[in-house]
This record gives sequence, C-alpha cells and structure tokens, in this order.
Amino acid sequence: MNRPAEEFYRYFTMAELLVHALVIELEAVHSYLELATQMEECGNDPVAKLFAKMAEFEQEHADKIREQAGNIKLPELAPWEYRWPGFEPPENIDSAGIHYLMTPHQALKLALENEMSALAFFEGIASSNTDERVYSLAEEFAEDERQHVAWMEEWLAKYPAPDADWDYDPDPPVAID
Amino acid sequence: MSAQAPCKLKASDYKSGTKPVWCPGCGDFHVFMSITKAVAELALPPEQIAVISGIGCSSRMPAYLNCYGFHGVHGRALPLATGLKVARPDLHVICAGGDGDGFSIGGNHLLHACRRNVDITYIVMDNEIYGMTKGQPSPTTAPDFDSKLAPGGPGISPFHPLVIALASGANFVARAFSGDPNGTTKILVDAIRHPGFSFVQILSPCVTFRPDQREWKTKVHPAPVATTDDAARAARRVMTDDGFNIGILYKGAREKYAQTVGKHVRHERNVDEEFLV
Repeated sequence: MNRPAEEFYRYFTMAELLVHALVIELEAVHSYLELATQMEECGNDPVAKLFAKMAEFEQEHADKIREQAGNIKLPELAPWEYRWPGFEPPENIDSAGIHYLMTPHQALKLALENEMSALAFFEGIASSNTDERVYSLAEEFAEDERQHVAWMEEWLAKYPAPDADWDYDPDPPVAID
Repeated sequence: MSAQAPCKLKASDYKSGTKPVWCPGCGDFHVFMSITKAVAELALPPEQIAVISGIGCSSRMPAYLNCYGFHGVHGRALPLATGLKVARPDLHVICAGGDGDGFSIGGNHLLHACRRNVDITYIVMDNEIYGMTKGQPSPTTAPDFDSKLAPGGPGISPFHPLVIALASGANFVARAFSGDPNGTTKILVDAIRHPGFSFVQILSPCVTFRPDQREWKTKVHPAPVATTDDAARAARRVMTDDGFNIGILYKGAREKYAQTVGKHVRHERNVDEEFLV
C-alpha cells in the first residue's frame, strides 16, 4: 500500500495519537513473540532469540508510552477503527518476509524496516498536524523512532548478509522430485 | 448485592496456549488472530463458542482456541457444525477449514449447508493447495499452476466458492485477506452477527507450497462496490472480478433455519411386543 496523503494524518487528537503509539508497540510485542515461537518450533534458535529480544525491546517502549499517557483517558477502539497507513500497525513484521531458514541479518532487516515505517508514521502526523501539543508529541515519538532506527542499523552491522544459498534445505518440505 | 457487568475478555484470553505448528509466515496465524479479536470484540464467553473443523492445516484451529472445539473427519465439519447448532442453538458455532476440506471432500456439504441456512459461520482459509499433504492441487488451484505433483498444472477450471455459496442460498458472503487482520476481524464480527449461514472465504497464503502467494498483499483491494442484498447481482460481480476484491459482498434476509423437530408427534411403538412370536 502506498504512503497515505497528508490528509490522512491531520485529524489525530492527543488521545488518538497516544493510543495509536501504544498499540503499535503492543502489537509489535505480540508479533515478535509469535515469530519467536514459530522459529523455535522450526529449530531456528538464533532468529527465535532475536525476535524474543525484539519483543522485550518493544515492551519497554509500550511501558514508556503508558507512562507518557499518564491520566489521559485513551479511547477504546475496535481493531478496524485504528488508522494505519497499511493493513497493520507499522511495527508489525510483514509475514511475507518470513522464512523458516531466515538468518538474523534478514530478521534485523525486517525489524529495521518496521522502525522506519513507524518513524514515517509519526513524522507524517507531526508534519500535518496544526495542534501544537499533537505536533510536539508526534515529534517526540518520531525522535524515539529515529533512535531505534540508529540502534537497528548498528545491530544489523554486526550480522553478515547471508550467502546466496541461505534457503537451501537438504530435506525440503516438497519431498517428491 | 449489586449486579456487575461481565468483564470483557482480551483477544489473547481466547488462545488455548497450545503452540500452532503452521509454517512460519503462514496466513493462518493472522486468521487465528482475527478470530480471537472478533470474538473478543463481540464479548462472547468462551463457553458459548464452539469451533468445528475437518482435516488440514487450517483445521487445526480448534486446538489453538480457548473455547469448545471439535476436530472432525475430513470434509465433515459442516454436518458436525449443523448438528451441533440444531441441538444447541444457544452456542455460537463457527466452522473453520481449508479449500480442500471444504470444497472437495466436503463440497457437497457446503451446498446443503448454504441451502439449510442454519445460523453458523463458515470460515474457509483458501490457499489454493493441499498444504498438509505436500502441495497437491485443490479445487481452487488455477488450471495452469505447474508443480512437481501436477506437472503442467491440473488443467481443470477452478471451483468458484463465492458464486456456489450465493447460488446455494448462503445468507452472508464475504471475501477477506489474512494479511489484513483488522479488516478480517470486522468481516468476521459481521458474519457472526448475521443470522443464518455466513460464508467467509479468507485468502490465506501457503508460504511453503505457494511462495508466489506472498505477493497477494499487493494484489488485494477493497471491493469497489457496496454490499448488496441481491444474490444474483453479487454473483455477477464475483464472477467478473479479479478474485482479489475483499469485503462483504452479500447480506441476505432469508429466515434462518428454524427447528421443526417435535411439531409432528411420533407415536413410539413397542418393538418388543410387535416382534414377539
């Protein structure tokens, strides 16, 4: 899906911005934990551990946003009432990029893409909103995401890109030749 | 003593804790999430839900949900669900399975479940392949889908589940995409609420045997027309669309199946006396 027009970001209230920011992190926790379990089931322990670590990281962000919300009453929205640029919150891993033999490098690349999507989301709100408080908070969230992007890039640099035959499986699921 | 409103459960409360064994990246994970979100949104108590399935990857669903469930035999999820709903109309009966289970082995049951219009919701996770048994063509596989198991493709016209459901009398017909879990949740909420037989086809990629389906996320789009209550119009639309329109296509107003058992009094015979020599 294409990045939405400026109009899409304009009408976020403080409470809506907060609840969106919180749900981005909570859904990311859920998504990473689920992926960690999937990878564990397939015996891909390095990626399972990495996704579990990402879940911890996102949980810390969620706790921080809860603190920021303080006494502001957050709206209770149905899942389809949230306004996301795509089908899902920007930090949810795109399952089309998941493979049971994927390497930590590929997993971190997906995580980096997510952080960049979240950054674009908050930058979109900050640049389109005329309410000073909403602008400031969106800019604060965007700054957090910039920091996360930098961490991810640093982390990614520690893992080499996989070889061309990274998905070679001597005993593949399609067993009939 | 003051009456208290029941505490609304979270989507995660509807998970049984059993870890799904689907392949990483499988669309069924998202469908599972959408089902839990839908029943949480409807605030259905777990003890009032029964999920019935047949055989296949997606038919593992009852094991992963915290509610009543029955993992039945291949293709027979709908007769089981129908019987359960007739016997226990107080339960919310959801039937779940795949395209092979629902359209091939259980194909005939689909026709009659639509026709009977018993108040159940049927979710078919359609990946156009038999995934559990290593990738044989299913009724919805394209005729030219070339694979090791069907070189050159099956060469047969695919089954068109939505048109079949409309022609057979389903009261609610929708298509969803697993990669749009929130949109799917909304469709499932509407399907469960709608009286009569609700049929939801969910395009759910098989990343192992149909890696090409990873591209579905770029192909799906919201149906450009509003939901209709005219089954013929809905059928014409889905016959001519590209197969990637998602949304509620048809909402009918047929009376749901009403139990007739017991209206005619049957006099029990004393068989022992009758056959006494």
